[in-house]
Amino acid sequence: MIKLLNANFTRLRKNRLFWLLTIFSIGVALFMVYAQYSDLKRYGTALEVEQLMLNYSTIIGIVSAIFTSLFLGVEYSDGAIRNKISIGHKRINIYLSNLIVVVITSLFSYIVFLGIVSAIGIPLLGKITITLSQLFMLLGCIFVTVTAYSSIFTFMAMIISNKTITAIVCIMLSFGMMMIALTCFNILETPKTIQEVTMLNGETKIEEVPNPKYPSEKKKKVCQTVLDFNPAGQMFQIAGRSAASLKILPLYSLGILVIFTGAGLVLFRKKELK
Amino acid sequence: MEYVLETNNLEKKYKDFRALNHTNVHIEKGAIYGLIGKNGAGKTTLIRIICGLQKPTYGNYAIYGVDNSNSEISNVRKRMGAIIETPSIYGEMTARDNLIEQYKLVGMPSLDGIDDLLKLVGLDKTGKKKAKNFSLGMKQRLGIAIALANNPDFLILDEPINGLDPQGIIEIRKLILKLNKEKRITILISSHYLDELSKIATHYGFLDNGSIIKEISSDELMKKMEHKIILTVNDSKEFVKYFEENKISYEVVDSKTINVYGKYNLSKFINELSKKNLIADEVHEQEESLENYYMNLIGGSNND
Repeated sequence: MIKLLNANFTRLRKNRLFWLLTIFSIGVALFMVYAQYSDLKRYGTALEVEQLMLNYSTIIGIVSAIFTSLFLGVEYSDGAIRNKISIGHKRINIYLSNLIVVVITSLFSYIVFLGIVSAIGIPLLGKITITLSQLFMLLGCIFVTVTAYSSIFTFMAMIISNKTITAIVCIMLSFGMMMIALTCFNILETPKTIQEVTMLNGETKIEEVPNPKYPSEKKKKVCQTVLDFNPAGQMFQIAGRSAASLKILPLYSLGILVIFTGAGLVLFRKKELK
Repeated sequence: MEYVLETNNLEKKYKDFRALNHTNVHIEKGAIYGLIGKNGAGKTTLIRIICGLQKPTYGNYAIYGVDNSNSEISNVRKRMGAIIETPSIYGEMTARDNLIEQYKLVGMPSLDGIDDLLKLVGLDKTGKKKAKNFSLGMKQRLGIAIALANNPDFLILDEPINGLDPQGIIEIRKLILKLNKEKRITILISSHYLDELSKIATHYGFLDNGSIIKEISSDELMKKMEHKIILTVNDSKEFVKYFEENKISYEVVDSKTINVYGKYNLSKFINELSKKNLIADEVHEQEESLENYYMNLIGGSNND
């Protein structure tokens, strides 16, 4: 396992995609700070630094999907997995070492973003307005969800042998999870009542009536569960600080990690390689 | 006999297609074993199974005496190096970086041997050129260098000369012979280029429709491929007595057929026999090539 990790990190250091994603994280951080600083100068108001720190969580899934599918896709396209097995590495170790490198790279990307936002954002936009324990709690939840994302994309990359298909599936999946999360948000935020405008004898009358699209309690429960279980939904709740309980989200993420890694290990062990 | 690889009734089925059918292979230590078969005969399937990429449907195999059902098989594979179909190289890396990656994978304590390996395969002057820009021959040689990174005792090369130009073929041939003679590496090499295999192999396994139809050493094969006179006789005993007395190389095929090996003037040879009252019913002269031998084995033109 240590040999595999050593080899993976050696490759990572020389991987152009890894450095591109790192530059992307730095670029996003600089852009976000600059945009808020401009708003502050122009309108006298801007988002708090901690909010900027949380906002990257909404797109980290796409970053992770691109990196995982292309970095691990090469393992199949260049025959590296074949080579690792034929020289005696166990499949379980190959899978886990790949998962570890993907998790660490995704977290590294986020930490680089945090570092830039902290270094430039705090002097320009002001201090963090929440307590450090609150901030660490939120960032901790994000890091666990990043791990869940990584486990899903690693599963895809290790089960699908074709690099292009893996990339398409992972990127579509990351967008799909975001779309599902946004749909659930919209349903949950449907107002209970709506205003109805009626015209009677030339008079306009506005009255509050029950919203026919207001979801039932059962539908709301389903949507909330989908939102909690979906890593993109978790990220939206953390970034929006709208989660009912922050303690439950990491449990869902750990559940995802266990389910996808367990299933991935079983399927990869049985997989017939060419 | 110590076998590096021994397979026992190995079978592999893909749905209704049987890629391997009770395949029995025996590779002796120090051999260059040429696995010969046409495309689709099962060569790559056999190699994939030996390398642990696929599981046999039936039967078993042992590498250095360790059965594939034994959990120790992964450790034994650490003594192996392999190129399966295409070499396992990262196209975005240089030859040297590819070897560094492999050294880390196999857990070599230092990177000291990399320059020697690059020299051995003639890639020591490739500098910063990425492997994806290498010629096919260079990629193949880099693949061999990678397969040699763990100092294997057993090297598996699947179609290593496919697509190479004549110069590339010669380079690979020289390298294989060098590895076998100088480093005493046992080599399994699959190919459908019979002429090329005949220049290096010490043993052959002929694979057809998923089955090994013949295993033979190069010495035996050479004997069979020698110029020979086939005699059809009534009573072989007198002929055998004459051949023994005159130290003529022969083989009794059955009670009525004798093969005489060596280059003889046919009319003089028949005259000599008739002087001794040895009259053959039929006499045929034959010179066999590896190709003829292979075609006869797999059923000749019917299998074309």
